Amino acid sequence: MATSPSHSSPESAIIEQVITEFFAKSLHIILESRSPYVSSRNYSVDQFMSSPSSSCSSSSSMPRDKWFNLALRDCPAALENFDIWRKSNLDPLVIDIVLIRRPLVPDVARPLGGCLLRNFSGNRDLALEPKSWKIVERWIVQYERHKSSSSKNHKEIRKCGTKNNGGSSCSSETAFYKKTYERYIILFRSLYVLIRLLPMYKLFRELNSSGQICPLSLSHRISSSIQPFTQEDEAKMNQFTFVPIDTPRGRLSLSVQYLRTLEDIRSEPSAPLSLQFILDYVGSPTTDPFRRLKSLPSARSSPALVSFTRQHSWSNDHGALASVSHCPSVACSEARGIRCNPSLCLPPLTHHNDHSPPVISESQNAAVTHKNNMSFDEFWPSPFSPTSSPSSPAHLPGQRSPNALQSVFSFPIEIIILSYVINNISVLYRSGSSQIDIAKACPNTASQTQAYSSEGKQQIKMDTLRCGNYRTGLTLVKGFPSGKDDTEKLAELPSSSTQRPRSRSSSGLSLLDKFDDCGFPCPFADYKDVTESCNRRSPDAVIGAVVRMLTTAAPLRQGLSDLCRPSQVFMDESLNPCVQHDQDNTEQSECRASTSEILASVLLKSKTAAEGLEELRRYKEMKESILKRGASRSSDVDSGPKVCRQ
Amino acid sequence: MNCETCQLKELVVEPPEIREVLRSILHTILFHRALGLVRPKDVECELFDIIYVQCEDHELEKKIDEKINQFIGWVEKHPNRKSQVCISFYEVKNKHATWFGNKIERFYWEQWYINLHIVSPKPHGKSHNTKAHVVTGENAFEESNSRCAALGSSLREVLLQIINFVNEKKDHIPPLQNSEIVSFPYEISTPSSSDSSFGWHADVLKRMLQTGHPSMLS
Repeated sequence: MATSPSHSSPESAIIEQVITEFFAKSLHIILESRSPYVSSRNYSVDQFMSSPSSSCSSSSSMPRDKWFNLALRDCPAALENFDIWRKSNLDPLVIDIVLIRRPLVPDVARPLGGCLLRNFSGNRDLALEPKSWKIVERWIVQYERHKSSSSKNHKEIRKCGTKNNGGSSCSSETAFYKKTYERYIILFRSLYVLIRLLPMYKLFRELNSSGQICPLSLSHRISSSIQPFTQEDEAKMNQFTFVPIDTPRGRLSLSVQYLRTLEDIRSEPSAPLSLQFILDYVGSPTTDPFRRLKSLPSARSSPALVSFTRQHSWSNDHGALASVSHCPSVACSEARGIRCNPSLCLPPLTHHNDHSPPVISESQNAAVTHKNNMSFDEFWPSPFSPTSSPSSPAHLPGQRSPNALQSVFSFPIEIIILSYVINNISVLYRSGSSQIDIAKACPNTASQTQAYSSEGKQQIKMDTLRCGNYRTGLTLVKGFPSGKDDTEKLAELPSSSTQRPRSRSSSGLSLLDKFDDCGFPCPFADYKDVTESCNRRSPDAVIGAVVRMLTTAAPLRQGLSDLCRPSQVFMDESLNPCVQHDQDNTEQSECRASTSEILASVLLKSKTAAEGLEELRRYKEMKESILKRGASRSSDVDSGPKVCRQ
Repeated sequence: MNCETCQLKELVVEPPEIREVLRSILHTILFHRALGLVRPKDVECELFDIIYVQCEDHELEKKIDEKINQFIGWVEKHPNRKSQVCISFYEVKNKHATWFGNKIERFYWEQWYINLHIVSPKPHGKSHNTKAHVVTGENAFEESNSRCAALGSSLREVLLQIINFVNEKKDHIPPLQNSEIVSFPYEISTPSSSDSSFGWHADVLKRMLQTGHPSMLS
């Protein structure tokens, strides 16, 4: 406990304690909403991600919660050593909130053994490049002792006494203390609200929710000396000063200087990717990958609408269309989707690959950070860092769509996996590719996902939360004319995110069963809306596979290329980059993959010869046996009702 | 005791925005006056880029929502008007029985006036031409977006105004008498839905008769 040496009476001790608690509470409130949750005590993603304060230890209030009648989330690590660190209440408490642009390659020379509460008064202590960090907020908590024996306060005390109890010295002091304490309470209420209205809070939340896909991170340094800002920096800052509160022997003050706007920082190309992107990938009413909203003029001309133009992770022109980031994805995207503040728009991302750090190195960075989970790295707030970066996407068997995979390289792994799977389904749909591809892909992606997540549970919770946010967005999206059917379907879906997809194709073939059997652990795979959008196409995909099998027989292949040409009317080439990339491969295979009607016509045309009939009969038998196997497996695996059949 | 009054900056809102605007303002005010042990809860506005704080107290939430519903009901009947919602804090003091009949007297020590100008959403121009319809829809959407952003910004200013007021005016707050979350009795007044134009004034008049004009209380 920090004490002041000059006072020893019980009364002074109480005052000193209140002052100490004032410092501690201020620090707690500030760090709670600026420093990622790195407490060494009860760490839980739930605690952090739901309402920051509401969910913490509701059953048992921490002793410190009772101070100033404000129950806060479990304290950040910094606070745990606060009492030890503070030498005197007369020293100001300076809390600098620092925005750090993390190096792409981990700095192994960085000192790791520092203390979170060390006095980072010099820039060198941060061991960062001078331009890689910026102070975005500076909070100063200060206790100034009155030089003279504060006659003002004595008057105040007397006033309190006269008002309340007729002026006895003891009761007047008590009343004064009560009144002063009440003022502290109100000040902390204001601080709590204000801190959430400052621009940095938004960024804090986004950085936490987006994991470590961007090189920005928030940190803080605590010191007892004030390093003056440069004039240039000062000009960019606003100041808010709380009215100081008088104590019997001094006054407590609290002020903040904060960057007026974070535009210049956030408009960096590597700014965090928000849920706005995720909306475009999965579950949006417009996410049917076989439809394109051509009626919309252009993404650039209408930033507000870009989230409704479809951007697919497997789209080759992803980079070009990545103008989705026009929409203030960082500023106002959190699960809203519609309401965007044009004034906060980010400049367009030219291409994710151009600007985003290599994810592998980011992952390594995270791994290093995590490995050295010592005090200095706690200084770098990254509770979810290692989970969201794919450690080795290059190992994914993406022979068919390497570029598509590349184009989503900088996105969270769940999106990558999802897009990869959808890619495969899409490719399969078109080219009738081998079932083995997906079957191979699934275990790989599964193991990779598991490998990333040393904190797999947390990752899932994180993703669930994202889904929750994104669902909120959906309700807003509903009003839009496009994708009505999808919206309705989505609306019908139960909200449980833990159920496996129930719907099966009517044929019940084993393709998607293989998909399921591989134990696909991708969090997004739990989301029914996504899986259903996959499953909706499964009959065709399955039939495509059968067609491919059938067409391997020489007698039946004749004339196919002519016949399949009309099937192209069902396709929109521009939708799938695989067509562009694997033009040679898919041109022919595209024709093969089509609806069951085309299959029937193909078969009918080929049944002219007796040999053909005989061969067809054999193939039919094979098909039936596959169907039976698929159906039996389906009934084993999936006990739920069949929701969606197409 | 003084009765401090805070007139909050007028906000121009469309009916669908009323609920969120009022919720954020009322909860922010009450959070500053709920001086018992409070567990704060962040609430993210759905329509605006704002996070406000409210006490985790079901009763409080319920009461606020009821009043908001009441106000929205009034707005539906009286669209396109300027109106006020007032939240007042008072102390209850026993008073000797007089011929007026009231034994309990309310001493209002703080009143917040939330000024709203309710406007109807602009109707979108009808067009049978699909292309023109898309363009019109797009413009309307952008307009709606920018209007909403502006309202969000104004709402933020109002919340900061509350903080400023709370920060500057502290002397008038009575001492804490209990350990309840909401430490002081309060009331939220909305224009009466039963009476169109006179309702609000009648309500004020009624309160004045009951307690005396705020300025008379000091």
